[in-house]
Amino acid sequence: MPDNEHNPYHPMPMHILRAYYESNDRALKTFELAFDKHKDCDEFFRNYNPGQFCQLSIFGKGEAPFGVASAAWESEFVRFTVQKMGSFTQYIHTLKAGDPIGMRGPLGNGFPLEDWKGKNLVIIGGGCAFSTLYALTKHVQHPQNRPDFDQLVVIYGARNSGLCMYKHDIQSWYQREDMELHQAIDVPEEGWFHHVGYVPDVVKDVAPSPNNAVAVVCGPPIMTKFTLPALVELGFAPETIFTSLEKRMKCGVGKCGRCNIGSKYICKDGPVFSLAELQALPNDI
Amino acid sequence: MMYILEKKKLDQTLKSWSEKYEVFAPQKVEGFSQFLPVEASGELALTDPHNTRYPPKALFMPQSEALLRYNRRLDRLEEVNTPPKPRLIFGIRPCDAAAVTLLDTVFNTEDNKDPFWAKRRDETILIGMGCVEPPQTCFCTTVGYGPFNTAGLDALVTELDDIFAVEVLSEKAQALFVDFPVASEDQQNQAQAVQTHAEESMAPAFDTTDLKQRLDLIFESDYWAEIADSCLGCGVCTFLCPTCFCFDIVDEVQRNERVRNWDTCMFRIYSQEASGHNPRPTRKERTRQRLMHKYSYWLGHIDKIGCTGCGRCVRYCPVGLDIRAMLRTASTLESERVNAG
Repeated sequence: MPDNEHNPYHPMPMHILRAYYESNDRALKTFELAFDKHKDCDEFFRNYNPGQFCQLSIFGKGEAPFGVASAAWESEFVRFTVQKMGSFTQYIHTLKAGDPIGMRGPLGNGFPLEDWKGKNLVIIGGGCAFSTLYALTKHVQHPQNRPDFDQLVVIYGARNSGLCMYKHDIQSWYQREDMELHQAIDVPEEGWFHHVGYVPDVVKDVAPSPNNAVAVVCGPPIMTKFTLPALVELGFAPETIFTSLEKRMKCGVGKCGRCNIGSKYICKDGPVFSLAELQALPNDI
Repeated sequence: MMYILEKKKLDQTLKSWSEKYEVFAPQKVEGFSQFLPVEASGELALTDPHNTRYPPKALFMPQSEALLRYNRRLDRLEEVNTPPKPRLIFGIRPCDAAAVTLLDTVFNTEDNKDPFWAKRRDETILIGMGCVEPPQTCFCTTVGYGPFNTAGLDALVTELDDIFAVEVLSEKAQALFVDFPVASEDQQNQAQAVQTHAEESMAPAFDTTDLKQRLDLIFESDYWAEIADSCLGCGVCTFLCPTCFCFDIVDEVQRNERVRNWDTCMFRIYSQEASGHNPRPTRKERTRQRLMHKYSYWLGHIDKIGCTGCGRCVRYCPVGLDIRAMLRTASTLESERVNAG
């Protein structure tokens, strides 16, 4: 039937460039994937926007969607942080440098960066959902992109310091003069000198100004549930608050129906939505 | 243009078409009716049962279909399927043909084609069989179609005593019927009368005025839990539905294939996420999703109801849940709310 070239379910051949544990409980592992074909690489980076996701594919095991955790300028690889949850992610965790893997994407809309130009960015993340926000922060930090945005505030929380991702890089952000970083863990730990508490409370403490600002929130459902109203309380309008949704997606191209919420498909119309858009959707998340 | 095909010449005609096409017609095998190639051993079942149990959407999106095939070492992809012979489907009911046009808006849009669906669509001729006596479970006229609706069809058959009057609707079909006798004015009038009579015999099943708005208002209603109390969650309503299109993608390790299988929002695991979170954890949310998708969300997408009134879900529900009754009740809930408010 369709040749593989025109088959939207056909993954690009990739291989693993680097694989390393991200958290000390070994549940989070980061994979950097390189392209087997130049053509795929060119096309990927022509279309890629932070906030998008890809389907990772292992023949004989299946596929699952993951948010991209790297910015285009970093190099010709695509980074994912995979949490070990089910049989597919357990298998992915066994992969090492050089192993083949398939990838479809980039999929979805990504963050509306054009609309955000000239604004202050407040980036709020919790747990491993911070991965696409890491991609966004890396994108904004690039000298060529940085002038497009005004102030940059990052609030990042994890349950404990051992679960903080991208540690060495994020640690260096404290030295940057072009941004403000607030890290938080849930309970006090020896040697932790940053915030202690849940992300919604840290957001209230930091109290970023809503003036000429957009806020982006990605985290577990419980964090998002309490952070969105905290932002509204601080004066952020629903049109200026953004979040990224997840669903059990299969096709990733708006056909299989599984990520349907109201008249939207998360994979095609999202995964990034403003709070104003979410408020117009049925409570089916 | 309307042509005449004598009933007694049907078998012969289907055979002659099968030289050029793979010809499908409704057939009964061990009591189960579905569209099969005419060479198959089933008995032709054009009017009994009125419509096939198994929906002809399967001819465009099979219940299980390979999307990719890989070799045993799992390092090389092979192409799947060979191009099929052009196909001719005889005797599809207008509701099922209309459903195919609805699914075109999912699988065959200009900017986002599913190549598997698109290729089968391009190479298939659909000859519809109008419904002279629509059964009680049908409600096509309520949702904007009709027993002789022509959406999606290349030709439409009206059954008269011992002849089929065939209205040709496309150039592809014109070539098939060019040598057939043309219907007389009298026969054309007869066909018209049969069509009008059939349409008039169907009373409206529920009110579709502002249906989307009315359903959106009762999203949080306890009514969905009431329906869920009867529902077994078997999913037959969605599998047999000609407009349901959800699929799962899984790897069939024994066959070295990645396949897509029909799936259903009526199953718990359909929306179960890896974290354990499930946005539709009980049958309440799942029965609501089925109704809302067809009678609200489709309207948000393309301003059309995602149901063509074939009545399969009504006929085959093992506990007798009737989607028409659900929609009638849903309407009264809303009016109660408004009166109370």
